[in-house]
Amino acid sequence: MSSAFDLGLGVLDHPLVDSEGRRCGKVDDLELEGVRDGNPRVAAILTGPSAWSGRGRIGRVLAAVVRGRLVRIPWSEVDGLDSAVHLRKTAKELGLGRGDDRAAKLVERIPGSSL
Amino acid sequence: VKSVFSIALGILAAIGGFVDIGDIVFNVAAGATFGYQLLWAVVVGVGGIITYAEMCGRVAAVSGAAVFDAVRERLGFGVGLIALVAAELVNLLTIAAEIGGVAIVLQLLSGLPYRLLLVLAVLALALVLWLMPFQWIERVFGYCGLALLVFAVAAIKLHPDWGAVAHGFVPSTGSGNGWVYAYFVVGLVGAAMIPYEVYFYSSGAVEEQWTAKDLGVNRANVLVGYSLGGVLSFALMISAGALLLPQGIQAELLGTVALVAEAPLGQIGLILALVGALAAISGAAIDSSFSGAYSIAQFFGWEWGKYRHNSGAPRFTLAWMVMLVLGFLIVVTGVDPILVTELSVIFSVVALPLTYVPILLVANDRAYMGRYANGRFANLAGGFYLLVVFVIAVAAVPLLLLSNMGQG
Repeated sequence: MSSAFDLGLGVLDHPLVDSEGRRCGKVDDLELEGVRDGNPRVAAILTGPSAWSGRGRIGRVLAAVVRGRLVRIPWSEVDGLDSAVHLRKTAKELGLGRGDDRAAKLVERIPGSSL
Repeated sequence: VKSVFSIALGILAAIGGFVDIGDIVFNVAAGATFGYQLLWAVVVGVGGIITYAEMCGRVAAVSGAAVFDAVRERLGFGVGLIALVAAELVNLLTIAAEIGGVAIVLQLLSGLPYRLLLVLAVLALALVLWLMPFQWIERVFGYCGLALLVFAVAAIKLHPDWGAVAHGFVPSTGSGNGWVYAYFVVGLVGAAMIPYEVYFYSSGAVEEQWTAKDLGVNRANVLVGYSLGGVLSFALMISAGALLLPQGIQAELLGTVALVAEAPLGQIGLILALVGALAAISGAAIDSSFSGAYSIAQFFGWEWGKYRHNSGAPRFTLAWMVMLVLGFLIVVTGVDPILVTELSVIFSVVALPLTYVPILLVANDRAYMGRYANGRFANLAGGFYLLVVFVIAVAAVPLLLLSNMGQG
């Protein structure tokens, strides 16, 4: 162990940025493994509305109402950490940013949308 | 490397962009009711916005995180969501007030019916938001807002009792109705510290891709820009105090505000006042619409930013459109925009602690900020203003009721 790292402050709720610099979600929850055998580590990042269910009462209610997706990103896909979590692949490859993709189809119908 | 010239241009825009309908309404009403006695409250408010905007700008430059990134990281999903909802509700009131204000000024300029002008105003604002690049928006409205400096000339021409003006910078309990006085203190501090300004400022810093190299620009922008913006507030209060108070005129309409410049300076004063108010309030309508979109996009991790074209940050684009439409729907009911303005300022005060606490925490986090974390002075000022914000947040709604919305 080098120095202590606070997952709650340093990773949870931070933005996800894909390999092309696109913002594609938040670290809505974390999946840990090896907690029982005394060697805990982060297995995956959970993102998407369904992941809110692990975030207290408000999260549970909202997750039930929105009923969106849950995307699991194995920790091995993480390229680096600063104020954001940088991913090795593009949002598309990881199945992220679909809400923006859908909204883009709508916005693109308005003239001048590429300005 | 940015030239001194471009830094100066940025500061000029910040001065013109400081004043919005909340500042105009509260400063003129305070001047008309209490003369110069409340000038100190503007100083307190300006100090607060300088303190927190500097922190937000620094966090954005060093880490790339904007305000609602920090809010969610520090408050977590649940409490963060409460902060978001509170911020958006207040923001909506602000947008409604600004759209209403734009329509009133247009009405004073053109004489056309108010509701028609509301429609025209919201369409024009949407067009500007859709078409204009980020820097242009900031600059054009900021520069035209400088026409409000006509109130500084008006203040001098009205020959106020400068001794009394100087006295107004010393905090006092004031004479007259105590509840109304306290209500104006909260309103003036709240109007200066209105939260959409820091959301917009920090997001703008991320949009312009500031780095630690821009920290000097950040400091110059907030210190000089907001201080001189405060001078505009002083000018509004002083000229209202010199003209309206002796004649017992209550400043309930924006028309009264224009009168304050017209009386000493004639037609040209009137026109400059209206043009300045139009630019400042339109700019604020745009900033607050963007702020609402920035906040929700940052909270949920959507792509955001005006620097991407409209379809490059589509949910962000839809968000500001929805904000603008909802704000329009509030004022088109015919509710008095001045009433909405006062409510937006008072409720923004209630919501302030929810955004300032996480910012102070992040700005202190060395893991995040490294050697750019808050120094002793920033923490002293930050702590002081957190206290101020908590006190006025608790007092805001009771004072709204006890003072009968400042009517006494």
